[in-house]
Amino acid sequence: MDEWKPNPAIKPHKKRSWYLAWKYKLMNQRALRKLCQTGAVLFLLVTVIVNIKLILDTRRAAYEEEEESAQDYDDEMLNVEVPRHPVSNKKVLDVEVYSSRSKVYVAVDGTTVLEDEAREQGRGIHVIVLNQATGHVMAKRVFDTYSPHEDEAMVLFLNMVARGRILIFTIKDEGSFHLKDTAKNVLKSLGSQVAPFLSWRDMWTFVGKKGGEVYGEKHAKSPALSTWGDPVLLKTEVHLTSVEDAECRWPDTELNRRRKRFCSKVEGYGSVCSCKDPTPIEFNPDPLKDNKVFDVPVAVIAGNRPNYLYRMLRSLLSAQGVNPQMIIVFIDGYYEEPMDVVELFGLSGIQHTPISIKNARVSQHYKASLTATFNLFPDAKFAVVLEEDLDISVDFFSFLSQSIHLLEEDESLYCVSAWNDQGYEHTAEDPSLLYRVETMPGLGWVLRKSLYKDELEPKWPTPEKLWDWDMWMRMPEQRKGRECIIPDISRSYHFGIVGLNMNGYFHEAYFKKHKFNTVPNVQLKNVESLRKDAYEAEIHRLLGEAEVLDHSKNPCEDSFVPDTEGRVYVMFIRMEQEADFTTWTQLAKCLHIWDLDVRGNHKGLWRLFRKKNHFLVVGVPASPYSSKKPSSVTPIYIEPPAKEEGAVA
Amino acid sequence: MQKINKNVVLALLSLTSLVFLLFQLYYYKFYLSQKNGAVFSKVRGSQSGQDSTRWHVVRKFLGLISSHNIPVYLIDPLILGLVDKDIEQIRSSPDGPTPECKYFCAPRDFTTFALLDKTWKHEVGLFRTAEKMGFQWLKIINKDPRLDGMDDLSGIEIPLHYIFKLASHAIHLVVFYERSGNYLWHGPLRLKQHMDRKFVPFRKLHFGRYPGAYEKPELLLVSIDDLKVQIPKNPSSFLEEMSHSRFLECRYREARAFFQLYPDDASLDAVEFRKKAKSLLHLAALTLNNLGVKFWLSSGTCLGWYRQCNVIPHSKDVDLGVFIKDYKADIIPAFQKAGLPLKHKFGKVEDSLELSFQGEDDVKLDIFFFYEEDDHIWNGGTQAKSGKKFKYLFPKFTLCWTEFVELKVHVPCETRQYVEANYGPDWKVPVKMWDWKSSPSNVQYNGVWPVNEWDDVIQIY
Repeated sequence: MDEWKPNPAIKPHKKRSWYLAWKYKLMNQRALRKLCQTGAVLFLLVTVIVNIKLILDTRRAAYEEEEESAQDYDDEMLNVEVPRHPVSNKKVLDVEVYSSRSKVYVAVDGTTVLEDEAREQGRGIHVIVLNQATGHVMAKRVFDTYSPHEDEAMVLFLNMVARGRILIFTIKDEGSFHLKDTAKNVLKSLGSQVAPFLSWRDMWTFVGKKGGEVYGEKHAKSPALSTWGDPVLLKTEVHLTSVEDAECRWPDTELNRRRKRFCSKVEGYGSVCSCKDPTPIEFNPDPLKDNKVFDVPVAVIAGNRPNYLYRMLRSLLSAQGVNPQMIIVFIDGYYEEPMDVVELFGLSGIQHTPISIKNARVSQHYKASLTATFNLFPDAKFAVVLEEDLDISVDFFSFLSQSIHLLEEDESLYCVSAWNDQGYEHTAEDPSLLYRVETMPGLGWVLRKSLYKDELEPKWPTPEKLWDWDMWMRMPEQRKGRECIIPDISRSYHFGIVGLNMNGYFHEAYFKKHKFNTVPNVQLKNVESLRKDAYEAEIHRLLGEAEVLDHSKNPCEDSFVPDTEGRVYVMFIRMEQEADFTTWTQLAKCLHIWDLDVRGNHKGLWRLFRKKNHFLVVGVPASPYSSKKPSSVTPIYIEPPAKEEGAVA
Repeated sequence: MQKINKNVVLALLSLTSLVFLLFQLYYYKFYLSQKNGAVFSKVRGSQSGQDSTRWHVVRKFLGLISSHNIPVYLIDPLILGLVDKDIEQIRSSPDGPTPECKYFCAPRDFTTFALLDKTWKHEVGLFRTAEKMGFQWLKIINKDPRLDGMDDLSGIEIPLHYIFKLASHAIHLVVFYERSGNYLWHGPLRLKQHMDRKFVPFRKLHFGRYPGAYEKPELLLVSIDDLKVQIPKNPSSFLEEMSHSRFLECRYREARAFFQLYPDDASLDAVEFRKKAKSLLHLAALTLNNLGVKFWLSSGTCLGWYRQCNVIPHSKDVDLGVFIKDYKADIIPAFQKAGLPLKHKFGKVEDSLELSFQGEDDVKLDIFFFYEEDDHIWNGGTQAKSGKKFKYLFPKFTLCWTEFVELKVHVPCETRQYVEANYGPDWKVPVKMWDWKSSPSNVQYNGVWPVNEWDDVIQIY
């Protein structure tokens, strides 16, 4: 009991005593103790319950997650990843190259990358470019160096190939007849010993690295003019380099990443893949003020001519007022290289499974492309339709922006086109001048959605009809007397020389000398006068001021038109009824303009330029403008040549 | 001594269990907030730390997208619901500072924004910046439905949804596409095999279970909780629209298979009829929409959509269904005003109502009114010469949006059951001879109109 004595000096002691007293008291109170115990037990119980709940909850949450991913949000299509070919880390490629009269082939590591044994084609030097790091085929070309100028194309191509690439050459049939010294020297500079001495019907294979070592070369001389050299088979090994060595060190930007992807896959696009100062792939042309066609989708119809597509897209993306987001490239077929080109420029491309053959295939491709365009841009009232073999003028969109409202407002219009069929270097003069014509020129044109959706799409020629889409669109059932607006100087240029309906001769004769506008920001003249009635007034005004040419002279002669500038002249030709184009066709032929069918007419009137003078041709008496003919003038009649002469070569 | 021991043991036990309990609670919260966002904070009521996290994530996201000039608008149903309550005040004071965080701090797992596809360039830069800001992101792509209906086009895959996650909050960005028929469409959210199923609790998303169709919204720039954000001008009507926005894509693949079996009629007559039927349907839709009458494709028109994604060229009329509760007396004058005179009217509002309007050149527009019962829905038919009544029974259905001949229209969501009720199990086989009184498999004889009512219930013009 000592502790109970108050002792202020020892405080802790006192405290302790209080505690003990309290404990003692507590121990003595059974009821309290019981309570304490039950409390503790209860607490334990709660803990256990919370634990169980926790386990249940976490389980449920986990289960739910599994379930939800299993049910609602699973892609029902099981996208089983296609096992990719194991990337071989092999550093050496086995290359086999075969050259003979009727067959060539190239195999890389046992995979045939080129095989051509078709008769009557594939003559000349076949060239294959391999990536020196991956061994992938980057380009495949054949140059028919039996024919003239093909060796120049080959030199151009070889110069574009980046240093370090692996080049494989093989000759099929004949490859030396028009292989000039320049080309031979280029081959020699690549390391070929034989090239300078290649001659008539020799067989030849060569594998080398551009600007580097030679992996092998084989040659078989032709013993006589009438026979071919023996087939040669070259087997060799190519050592691969590291990926880093095969790539350029461009700064790491979004654009260069696209460039890198492109340049590691394909070859033959020149400076776009140069390590030093590569040509830009973004152009940022000046925007157009008050651009009425900024939101108009642009459908680029393409096939498998990636080099054309590349050239076309460059010019399109450089045109003022272009909106890259509205461009869609439609590729007819699952070709990789055109798609690579589209991706290089950061555009969207859509591939289309080919349907039918030849012209009908093109036709079906057009239909699918147009439908898709209007589906993807449901707001659009128009679509610009372009093809992959066109250069686009710098003021293409400016031209459309100034004229498109006519297509919206004038029901008598069928299209606005950038192409003047009769606009050659010597027959077109005024970039600000527009015409109305009864023919549909195509080659860069604007289609009205309502025309397509309500009229053309439902009755578009079906695949079994082997029709040209443009011929079909020109038929009176479709055109229904409506006209197109065209410029005097074309805003597109048709550069394609290979194509379904195209060859070198044809291009040279009808397309090469076509005039193409290169002046930016041309202000179009008097656009409102292109409306249906206003245009008639305009024509009457023109005819009123036009001087009648001397009809006793030969219209084909240059002297038919006086040596003046800026005057308006008119001539009258014989045209018995609306479809009588006898004299016109002969006139077109001697003027060296489009004469294969009738183009560019408006009610029996043609408008072009000769010697920088506006030159009007009126068909009498079929044209309503015949009344302008002075009674003293006899319409000129040119007899068509005897027979067959007019046939298309 | 023993007693003391017992007590000590008891106290120790209690203490450990307390510690244990606290640990468990902490773990529980930690585990769930990792996976399920703010589930736990919901249970425990709002907690200021969590709230401001949401606000901060939204602010960061808005900063991100405005730095890339991407116009998004808020479509989060929860926040729009809250905003709608104070809409007048928000509209009148667009810049006023708000005293408390009222909207963006509300407890939820996601904040949902919409993005119009055509207003932005698909640029990679956005995601780089997002990553730098600490966002994790997920992109969900799928086939472009606008090219799905087309033969043999390799549809490009398009982005449908983006999810940006930061800390415990996520932003769901729904990409809307404009489609033919002047409406906006968003795709379903479907995860591909390799995707992280636990990235966010996908099930809790408000958009993505089904594709949806919406009108183009008018937008309003407001400042709420000190954040400037675009919202639909009328949040309540947007929420209304959202509640029944489910969209059904036409079954293009099946339609192609159908045309393989039964080549399409490409004759000029067929082309002409389709053109007329399309313009009649456009006119009818315009008229009914102006009146605010909900309608759907019925009978042959519905079959055409379901079976071949096009008007059946030999069907000769356009059929629409309307619930009788949506009937308005203005319907007849409105159609007459639109140039479609009434051809006949059978039945009455209380029973078997059916209206028929004369379109251009013999193309007829039939509007059937549907009556809802407890376990089925029916519409009536009347034979003019005998006064006989027929009843066509359908299982219950709800309405979904679809696109048909460049028009956003309703069809029964349970289309197959609807078509099968009407045309039987052989609906896939084209039938040129169709008798509305006997051919349908769901027809029932329903007595005869009393003769004294004939003048009212059988009106032919």
